[in-house]
Amino acid sequence: MRFEANDDQATFLAVVEQMAASSAGGWKVAANWSRYDWSDALDQELEKNGFHDCAREESLGPVAATAMIQRLAALPVAVECAASSLLRPLFDDNLPRPVAVVESSPTTTIRFLPRAKTLLDISDGKIRHSRINGDDVEQVDSLFAYPMGVLRSAPSQWTETDVDPELVRNRWRIAIAAEITGALKGGLDAVLDHVRNRYQFGRPLGSFQAIQHRLAASAMKIEGAGWLVLKAAQTGIPRDAVLALGYVQNVSTEIVYDLHQFMGAMGLTLEHPLHRWTYRVRLLRTAFGGAHRNLGQLARTQWRAA
Amino acid sequence: MDFTWTDADRSFRERVREFLRRELPSNWKSISRHGPGSREQTEFSLEFCPKLAAEGLLVPHWPGEWGGADRPTWEHFILGEEMWAAGEPRGAQYMNVNWIGPTLIRYGSAEQKHRYIPEMAAGKAIWCQGFSEPSAGSDLASLRTRAVRDGGDYVINGTKIWTSYAAHADHCFLLARAGGADEGKRGIAIFLVPMDSAGIEVRAIPSLIGHGDIHETFFTDVRVPASARLGEEGEAWTIISYALANERVGIPRYELSSRVLGEMVHELKCRQEFDDPIVQARAGSAFAMCEAARMLVYNAVDQRARGQEPGTEANIARVAVVSAENAVSDFGLDFLPDAYSRGAFPSFLAHHERAIVAGIAAGANEIQLGVIARRHLDLPREAS
Repeated sequence: MRFEANDDQATFLAVVEQMAASSAGGWKVAANWSRYDWSDALDQELEKNGFHDCAREESLGPVAATAMIQRLAALPVAVECAASSLLRPLFDDNLPRPVAVVESSPTTTIRFLPRAKTLLDISDGKIRHSRINGDDVEQVDSLFAYPMGVLRSAPSQWTETDVDPELVRNRWRIAIAAEITGALKGGLDAVLDHVRNRYQFGRPLGSFQAIQHRLAASAMKIEGAGWLVLKAAQTGIPRDAVLALGYVQNVSTEIVYDLHQFMGAMGLTLEHPLHRWTYRVRLLRTAFGGAHRNLGQLARTQWRAA
Repeated sequence: MDFTWTDADRSFRERVREFLRRELPSNWKSISRHGPGSREQTEFSLEFCPKLAAEGLLVPHWPGEWGGADRPTWEHFILGEEMWAAGEPRGAQYMNVNWIGPTLIRYGSAEQKHRYIPEMAAGKAIWCQGFSEPSAGSDLASLRTRAVRDGGDYVINGTKIWTSYAAHADHCFLLARAGGADEGKRGIAIFLVPMDSAGIEVRAIPSLIGHGDIHETFFTDVRVPASARLGEEGEAWTIISYALANERVGIPRYELSSRVLGEMVHELKCRQEFDDPIVQARAGSAFAMCEAARMLVYNAVDQRARGQEPGTEANIARVAVVSAENAVSDFGLDFLPDAYSRGAFPSFLAHHERAIVAGIAAGANEIQLGVIARRHLDLPREAS
């Protein structure tokens, strides 16, 4: 049992941290007040330097990839990292990225589709993928702080793979749990910054016990989720993956409410990026049927019930 | 990062389980039902702990010169998980193992160590903790019990309350005010007081958390030699902080919660009531909370194992553990209410009684949340 990163993981994550810190750009965002801010620069830098392949390296593995996903999901900008870092290494083909993933039906609104070069269908049976180009996709307006799109028509050519579907879906649970954890952490950090500096009644908001206790409880849940998802990444055990996802989806509802509550009216604006974290979470907490279905599956797995 | 057990850890756990299988009697469940502070469990601990000690399983993490074997922190913790999950057959003596012994080893005088440590390491000592008072619970620094120097002695007067194990304890780890009330924490001193001293009266308080588990303890002109003081007068808060940091991660409550939850599910399956998706989701949620608490506790233990000073990890872990324990307790009460009557399921009842005290004993949950807010999240202190 060792919670400390090994030397290679520590070096790798220090570089990720350096890149993340230079891309964060403070809490203010682009003046176009968009629902999301896709960072092409960060996405390209990660790809150019091979960061998405870290899970293939024995000394880094899925744990380092998951820690990277968590860290990058805490940024106000969006990049496609989760599928590229945890799913793409499972395929022999060097799938072009960014990668969009469809969990249920290809006719739904799909995250990252307007940016994607590969669509990965993990919904049922065999895993398949298809090349995507801009003409295939219609970008749609969405509450959720990602580039969202729908397919104009079904892909003309799917490539079926022999990769174990359960392995892929398991990895995807871990990836999404990592993204939710990271986004919650990003939102929490933004709110902490706000309540330290916003004065009301002659004192910082963060000095009020009512606020302190709820933020402390949120921090506890986010840290717990962080360790659960890293453990799931290391063990690869399906029970650990569904546990991490169900747990963080379940705690996210109350945390998101509190983050907006303590940011006050500022958090209702598009000027402050809080919405970028919280609306990502609001989308991701529906993954694989949402918290209750995942926790129910956890219970059935743990206690071998129908 | 590696979140799996080593072969040595697994083998040690199996050794502890094998010992428990061998040494716990068939009526152990009915004994453990009474709670760690009960007469039944105290008497049992005085038979059981010497056997643990003989097997090298009572204080393996203590230094060799004080009866231990300098074993790794993780072994101590695995031992604690298995003991707590089995209903804590060490009774009150878990406190000796987890924090009273290590605190005396670190801060005690040579005389104190020689007097107290060997009998603790042999599994023959029952201690109680004289911290809370009628007007000093969470605000421990406002305690009023006085220890007045009188020549070579101190004379102690005051009242302690919620004192677990007091009725059966040989000694009390007592906090009293040796300095003035205006000195706050600095005026507090620690005394190691024999409970058979003249002037000590113990009254059990009927409670929701087991028979004989909490008491009111009166000290009237109790005279102890100055050599009974642990550390210097102004040093007490440092010592207490060390002791509490050991205590807070010392009880792996999630382990019992997780196993009791499994028993609850088993019962629901027998009744064919576990197919309900609502029941399954609630069970999954409670289990996930236990596992989150486990990871946060392991994080705190890992830091200790690496020799780092205790930080806020222990406070964070403590809050998670309390949430998990209550989630399991609520699951049982919501879906198996009749199991809490007629003594049908003693382990559910015992777990419930431990759960409702978890967020209050050893520093209320709200105290932990305040510490996390200020020290971990760097939020400003509340204006006075």
